[in-house]
Amino acid sequence: MIEAVTTLVTPTFLLLVLGGTFTGIVFGAIPGMTATMAVAVCLPLTYSLGLENGLALLLGLYVGGISGGMVPAVLLGIPGTPSSITTTFDGYPMAQRGEGEAALRIGIVASLVGGLVSLGILWAFAPTLADFAIRFSYVEKFLIILFALTVMAALSSDMLLGIFSGVLGIFVALIGVYDISDGGNGNLRLIPPGTEYWLESGFSLLPVLIGLFGLAAVLEQAEAGVPRGHSAKDLAVGRAGGFRLRMLRGEGVNLVRSSGIGTFVGILPGVGGSAASILAYSNAKTFSKTPERFGTGAPSGIVASEAGNNGLTGGALVPLLSLGIPGDSTTALLIGAFTLQGIQVGPLFIGNNPDTWNAMIFAMIVANLAMFVMMYAAIRWFALVVTVPKHVLLPVILMMCVVGAYTINYGIMFDVWTLLIFGVAGWLFTKLRLEVAPFIIGFILGPSAEVYFVKSLESFGDLTIFFTKSWIAWVLWGLIVLSVAASASLSSRRRRPATA
Amino acid sequence: MLYRKTILAAIAATTALSAPLATFAQELPRNVRLVIGSTSTGGDTYQNSAIVADALAEHLGINVKVDAVGATEAFKALERDGRGTTLMIFHDQSYLGELYGRQGYDDPFETYVIGPTVAINPGNAYLASCDSPYQSMEDILQAAADGDRVRVAIQPGGVSEIGFSAMKYAASVRSPGSESNIVAVNTGSQSDKNQAMWDDLADVINGSIQANEQFTQLPADDPKCMRFVWITARPATLEAAPAEGMGDTTRDDLLQYATPNVDVTLGEDGPFTFDKEFFFLFNPDMDPAIVEQIDTALTEIFAEGSIQERQTGSFFIPNFLPSDEARAHLSEKRDTYEQVISTIADDAS
Repeated sequence: MIEAVTTLVTPTFLLLVLGGTFTGIVFGAIPGMTATMAVAVCLPLTYSLGLENGLALLLGLYVGGISGGMVPAVLLGIPGTPSSITTTFDGYPMAQRGEGEAALRIGIVASLVGGLVSLGILWAFAPTLADFAIRFSYVEKFLIILFALTVMAALSSDMLLGIFSGVLGIFVALIGVYDISDGGNGNLRLIPPGTEYWLESGFSLLPVLIGLFGLAAVLEQAEAGVPRGHSAKDLAVGRAGGFRLRMLRGEGVNLVRSSGIGTFVGILPGVGGSAASILAYSNAKTFSKTPERFGTGAPSGIVASEAGNNGLTGGALVPLLSLGIPGDSTTALLIGAFTLQGIQVGPLFIGNNPDTWNAMIFAMIVANLAMFVMMYAAIRWFALVVTVPKHVLLPVILMMCVVGAYTINYGIMFDVWTLLIFGVAGWLFTKLRLEVAPFIIGFILGPSAEVYFVKSLESFGDLTIFFTKSWIAWVLWGLIVLSVAASASLSSRRRRPATA
Repeated sequence: MLYRKTILAAIAATTALSAPLATFAQELPRNVRLVIGSTSTGGDTYQNSAIVADALAEHLGINVKVDAVGATEAFKALERDGRGTTLMIFHDQSYLGELYGRQGYDDPFETYVIGPTVAINPGNAYLASCDSPYQSMEDILQAAADGDRVRVAIQPGGVSEIGFSAMKYAASVRSPGSESNIVAVNTGSQSDKNQAMWDDLADVINGSIQANEQFTQLPADDPKCMRFVWITARPATLEAAPAEGMGDTTRDDLLQYATPNVDVTLGEDGPFTFDKEFFFLFNPDMDPAIVEQIDTALTEIFAEGSIQERQTGSFFIPNFLPSDEARAHLSEKRDTYEQVISTIADDAS
């Protein structure tokens, strides 16, 4: 590795990693822009840069983009990327209490730990993990999604309404064609007559996400009357001091477990990046001694979410570099950098290209460290966002949401309509006491749940396969039962004081 | 007042002068959006389109941006824009989708203008596990004739299925009725097809030389090990590939898995072959002068020669045919596959 580093790592290489990380953070921090989008925009540049330099840029963008998503999630309650959705659950309440800087510090440290743990696992065990990953068939993947879905109940203030909201999210996600490229039959379903032209591909995730979290918040503020912004003095911006280890006291297990979960989800092709942080969050809540604090501004929630989504970055490279199969939507773009250079990725890639492999690992280490330094140094400037007067901030957010929605699928106007529809829906949800968080989790995980459930039955015959397929299935059932029991217990504890 | 009149007169004069210019100066606009029928930027459609877009942009001094919007949205974008601002590149899927009755596909020969072909991906392949009893197409067709059920993982409704349809056709020629023993396992991505093999849900999978070659180099006792049983490309197409082939598999190795060494017959029509060809699609209202401009530009680009180096380096076979020739060639190809598909459908019903 040292030899590869000295020959391949040039000042240009380092500048590209640093530039990529910075640009990725900016993309991630703007609601509606994502790590995937940052990589897509820069992908064509990589042809002229050459493979190692091109990868240096893209990996910087990847790490920066995933990490930058926490900034709007914490300060504005709008997830910058789908994988930072669970960061909003505790980060935003902390920011509302004037603890935005602390929340960001915790998130940044968790992101660094998540990124480095997954990188260590990638470097040490990539081929072995890929062999393990192929033991996960449709059945095990469905059970993982089901486990992630159990968080819907745990996230709700009212369990029944939460589950209803989640199921509604699944229903809405299934509108459109049952896509052949996902193994479906290509038929349209759940589409109101006359809307086939627009709804054929269903609703895209990102416009739905920023509509529910971004536009709905703007509408709520508009309804309440635009308040004055906080002043920097009110929020003690810039006076929170440096990083102190005690911020993470009692979070060691949570950090390692969430990083491991993120990495694990990353190595499973097709499960999806957003599932990493949702699963990590769900686990942290299930095994917490104070689960009732989750969703109200608990640092543990931020640790789980950010360690989980950054853990994904190393994990998703495992199937990419060991099987030629991308682990999430961003690594699906990374594969383009290889194909543009005419390089095959598959089971022989690491052995045949040790220099490129080592350069990638080194680029990821630098990107994670650079992300930590850049974001930590910029916290006080990030935190100033909440001091911007709302009559200035809200129109800017609205504009960014519209631009993000329009560009996510390379310029489809229906995505802007989707943003508006779900913005209004999100605003109505609060009136109807429906819950946005379970809805969006249902929306994110619903399509995968459907595909894996149907494919399991098509492949193995009947429902008993979910219990008889393998020992992995039994472990997953155990986790599902634990999570449901924890949610039920929490719900009953919440109700008890009210009925007493 | 005089000032206003002067401005109005200037606008009128400018409009009058520019109108005739606009009528004959129909060229590609400065900024062109090249939509493709795939949402993947890691796949062959994007890779090939990026090469062509770069070459066109450089040659014509314009900006060409490749947008991986997928087939449904690409067709919609193309339908909306007859100005030449939106062009499309896709492959044989554009008409196979319609032949297989897939949602969102119309007959491209009627709905759009077929433009020039630019390249072939010769990689469409079928593979079996190393420990499978089926080590060749002969084994597969014989097994079907003997009454054994052979499961083939494909993504239905297009390029992935056409070779499967041909397998069934060949089975019916060898032993009528045996085609029902070759059954499809409908999967999605290449990852799903590989997984179907590793889970023992499929005996044979559709894949590609590019995506699966490294799996064929694994030791035979590795559970991920695969071997090619059929490469659908014409031998002439494979002969045009670089001699070193792909990865550790040379061109001569690849030819062992193609016609005539592997016989998937269409009876009297000879062996079945399939080359995945990439070509332009245009809005039918687009000015023919723009089509001519693209044809001319590509003729000059391919005559210059550097695009071929880049295509070959990415394991594409350069294959430029101007619009008229491309339309006739693809139309004939479509008719052949229509016959295969309809025969198999008739047998099944």
